[in-house]
Amino acid sequence: MSSKKSIREALLDHSTLLVLMGAVTIVGVVVQLVGTPLLKNIYTSFCISLMMVLGLQMFMGNSGILSWTHIGFVGVGAYVSGILSMQPMMKQLGVPNMYPFLVSLHAPIGVAILAGGLVAALLAALISYPLMRLSDAAGVITLFATLIVFHVVMTQWDNVTNGPRTFFGLQEYTTLWVALIAALATMVLAWFFRDSALGLRIRASRDDRYAARAVGIDVVRVRYLTFVLSALVMGLAGGIWAHFITSFSPKAFYIAEMFTLISMLVIGGAGSITGAVTGAVVVTIVREALRQVEAAINNAHVLPFEVFGLTELVLAVFMVAVLIWRPVGVIGAQEARLVRLKATSGGGRPAEADKEV
Amino acid sequence: MTDALLTVDGLEAAYGSIRAVHGVDLRMAEGELVALLGSNGAGKSTTLKSIVGVLKPVSGTIRFSGEDITGKAPEQIVKRGISLVPEGRDVFGALTVEENLRLGAYAVYERKQYQADLQEVFDLFPVLKERFSQPAGQLSGGEQQMLAIARALMSHPKLLMLDEPSLGLSPAMTDVIFDLIVRLNERGATILLVEQNAERALEIVDRAYLFANGRIEFEGTPQQIRERVDVAAVYFGDGTDTDACEVKQ
Repeated sequence: MSSKKSIREALLDHSTLLVLMGAVTIVGVVVQLVGTPLLKNIYTSFCISLMMVLGLQMFMGNSGILSWTHIGFVGVGAYVSGILSMQPMMKQLGVPNMYPFLVSLHAPIGVAILAGGLVAALLAALISYPLMRLSDAAGVITLFATLIVFHVVMTQWDNVTNGPRTFFGLQEYTTLWVALIAALATMVLAWFFRDSALGLRIRASRDDRYAARAVGIDVVRVRYLTFVLSALVMGLAGGIWAHFITSFSPKAFYIAEMFTLISMLVIGGAGSITGAVTGAVVVTIVREALRQVEAAINNAHVLPFEVFGLTELVLAVFMVAVLIWRPVGVIGAQEARLVRLKATSGGGRPAEADKEV
Repeated sequence: MTDALLTVDGLEAAYGSIRAVHGVDLRMAEGELVALLGSNGAGKSTTLKSIVGVLKPVSGTIRFSGEDITGKAPEQIVKRGISLVPEGRDVFGALTVEENLRLGAYAVYERKQYQADLQEVFDLFPVLKERFSQPAGQLSGGEQQMLAIARALMSHPKLLMLDEPSLGLSPAMTDVIFDLIVRLNERGATILLVEQNAERALEIVDRAYLFANGRIEFEGTPQQIRERVDVAAVYFGDGTDTDACEVKQ
């Protein structure tokens, strides 16, 4: 193996990433050129979901710890960026009780979104170290409890969030292109993170945390660093989402939304970027299709009651089915490879031919 | 004996309230190949785990290269040059061979060194080169054991500890692994080996410690051990019986 890889080898190494990025981009361009406004909205919201799923994948997929907290960081990013990007007058109108110093704060949109990400990451850095010592059920339960804490704070702190009421008045800065570029950038980040020193260490700790310690990995530390990094991505995604949707309330950052993100990751396969992208595509299509079906049924008045929650129901069943028949997700833990790289020389002999020892 | 690389004094270790090792003293000089022998539950693996820091000792001191490493975290100890190949070929099955090797290198990571080390590992284990981009979980048992050893070597250990490297391997593969241990030792590696196969181990080691019930019952060269101890009894005893290790009259 030579110490410097040729450009061709590098392209082959990252061919899957390039194909995924290409596919998402082409769909985006087509939608922008010929799509209806509804389709553009669906695609933009898909790109933002994709960013969130990839942010979640960085932690959950690589560490193996199911995190319910992450949507909370999306909320932090949404509120922080919204407070910063809105004009003071608008804020006084929308959030009557807001602290005066927050009302007077104002920043350009880019700075506002960045600040949203940074505050989310800072918050993660402050609270998550002790949580990262927990694994398995204890870890899942504490991360779920943390989400409840986030939610209670968001619904109660009406000097900042307007409480359970709608926070409105944001400008729609997030176009299809902004969302697409953010999704592509996150794809690159998640892809290279997976293969970085930190990414490799946390994946090893997922595989076997005792063996990981034996090879010198500080499991709590690598989980902590990954958690903070993934909270940063969630916070940024929150800011971008907030300036797409323009008004929201704390229930947008709670169990139902988190469940959708988790189902995307579980259905596609949490262990790989290909899986995360696939899951986001599949769930978005299923969700939008079911929404249409639901509307059609309700409009036809064929049933004596209104159909509601079909999406959640089908997604849940879908997720259970995947967990039973293919627990690693549709794609699995390995990145899909279009070009199967041969071993460094000679080519691998088939595994079946190998004598079992 | 020359200056000791590793000194263990009065090591006591426990799993919760169950004491597994009661006062073990070990000494290893640089370049030595030493085995810990004894039946299941005699405290050999516990001793290795305590040295590498996975298990915190209850009492006693462990010194390595003149430094007290007792109770330090494993990641600290690995950085100082002790590498453990755990029992049962603990490779990361979901990670590729390449990723497993890179993880081994991360304890002392330098890019240039990594490429050179990789070459060396390929020379020792050509099969790993063929399997480079496959998930380690798809390797055969013998290949996984090679990968586990190769991963440990990537961190340039001053002391390599192998816990039951032949466990579950075919006789042919066991030969390969034992040859490898001898070769590594001839190239200057200091190796501490825990082995069930006492006869095989005694063929290759410089010295051995016989464990029984969490204590060292006898220590010496293979010749001394063969002369004075019924080796078979060490293993075929019931494992709770100190007599198993009784010195021959």
